[in-house]
Amino acid sequence: MPDNWSFVAAAYALTAAVLFAYWRRLAKKEREVTMRERSNANRSRPTADRSRLTAERSGSTAERSGLSAERSQEPSRTGHPRPDPDSRHSLQ
Amino acid sequence: MSYARRALAVVWKDLAVERRSKETLNALVFFSLLLLFVFQFTLGADRERLAAVLPGVLWLGFVLSALLALGRTFLVEREHDCWEGLLLAPGDKSAIYLGKLLGNLLLMLLVEALVLGLFVVFFDIDLSRALPGLLVVVLLGTLGLAAVGTLFAAMTANVRARELLFPVLLLPVQVPVLLATVKATEALLLGEPLGAVAHWVKLLVAADAVYVVVSLLTFDVVLEG
Amino acid sequence: MVKTLGWLTALALVVGLLMAFVVAPQVTQGNVQRIMYVHVPLILASYVAFVVLAIASILYLVRRDPAADRLAHASGEVGVVFVGLGIATGSIWGKPTWGTWWTWDARLTSVAILFVMYLGYLLLRGTIDDPERAARYCAVLGIVAALDIPLVHFSVYWWRTLHQPPSLMKPGGFTGSASILWPLLVNLLGFVLLYAYFVARRVRLLRAEAEAVP
Repeated sequence: MPDNWSFVAAAYALTAAVLFAYWRRLAKKEREVTMRERSNANRSRPTADRSRLTAERSGSTAERSGLSAERSQEPSRTGHPRPDPDSRHSLQ
Repeated sequence: MSYARRALAVVWKDLAVERRSKETLNALVFFSLLLLFVFQFTLGADRERLAAVLPGVLWLGFVLSALLALGRTFLVEREHDCWEGLLLAPGDKSAIYLGKLLGNLLLMLLVEALVLGLFVVFFDIDLSRALPGLLVVVLLGTLGLAAVGTLFAAMTANVRARELLFPVLLLPVQVPVLLATVKATEALLLGEPLGAVAHWVKLLVAADAVYVVVSLLTFDVVLEG
Repeated sequence: MVKTLGWLTALALVVGLLMAFVVAPQVTQGNVQRIMYVHVPLILASYVAFVVLAIASILYLVRRDPAADRLAHASGEVGVVFVGLGIATGSIWGKPTWGTWWTWDARLTSVAILFVMYLGYLLLRGTIDDPERAARYCAVLGIVAALDIPLVHFSVYWWRTLHQPPSLMKPGGFTGSASILWPLLVNLLGFVLLYAYFVARRVRLLRAEAEAVP
């Protein structure tokens, strides 16, 4: 039945497409988290070696470096309980 | 307060609230009448087709009323800011579950009796032989629905899109109960004895046991916050 | 670790793909039967996912370990993707074989119910904002769903087989010959590895998301 190759192709193509899409979604979210982590790490670094005239760093850096050691009280974005702040792992 | 007394206290409170407001009961009665009329319009003339679909239609009515009733299990607590009261209740919180379950059972059985009665009268159905078996099946099926329904009602009480989420969660899980009750009712209404549907009855008993036990064990977890 | 898993997965899947088309013979049903080499592994891998979900749910309730909750979440997500894809590929296989996209036979009905149940699980996760409550409620739902599965299986099976001839819908001629079995096994391994790889990455991502201070 020569016609049925289209069904085989459809099934395999659909499988590949969906799994690839899921894989890409994972990769995209991982990139987002890494960027967020990096920007957080930048913000919590001490300001001694940064120019005070930089407009972007708006004074609350000292507060944030104090807060970063505690668990944030805001609801976690993923809906999971926050892990212990001392046990951080990077994504790689 | 002892466990049993706490459970009964919940039942009594809910019945008292219901007796005064009659909100849920009214909604369910009108819903049953609606069901009756719609089926008269579509199937009343054709006796054979009516007999063929009656078990499914009957249980459709029961289930839809159940969804309505069960979804409102914790409505009073939520609307009147009493949810924290439940959380702070001392002792084994599964007593609350039992109380709510009993209350739901009573309400659902009442409505089912009403629907059944209406159908028998208006469609001239002869239940004399089927009635004892039917009572067993209806009781077991209702318990199954109410057991999981009460647990899920607590879980969805404070959640967004509660009215949508509750049936979506409940109905797939209840498929065994729905299948067993409809098939058993079908056989009973065709005149078969209860023994002929023993396997369905056994499934219902097993399902009810699983649902009630799991709900009792996990209700405390749900009411942690 | 995860990277090695990823490469192993890719290897298994590529080999499996080749075997499905080169090694596997043509059977009476025709070449359409080759869909089985993705359809069956997808479904079986999803069963693995749901078993893991059930176990992780129990673990969470007992130990309240967020790692168990993350495992349950990830496993549920990948499981739903796999079972949905399994149903779709089964449907595509069914159309030329049985002439219809869908039939209410025991197996299809059970799998469809499974799909909807675990879709509900993901919906519940999505609607609860408080992370600790989401973990608890989903664990309860996971356990109820898992215990319900044998009940669903029996009720649907009895519904379809009693007073009715058993469903004749069997995937074409499984003779058990080696040239059919081996491609199937390799693909099964590939998809289970894929499940593990996806779950590993998803769990890692969930952990990182939970740690990142907004």
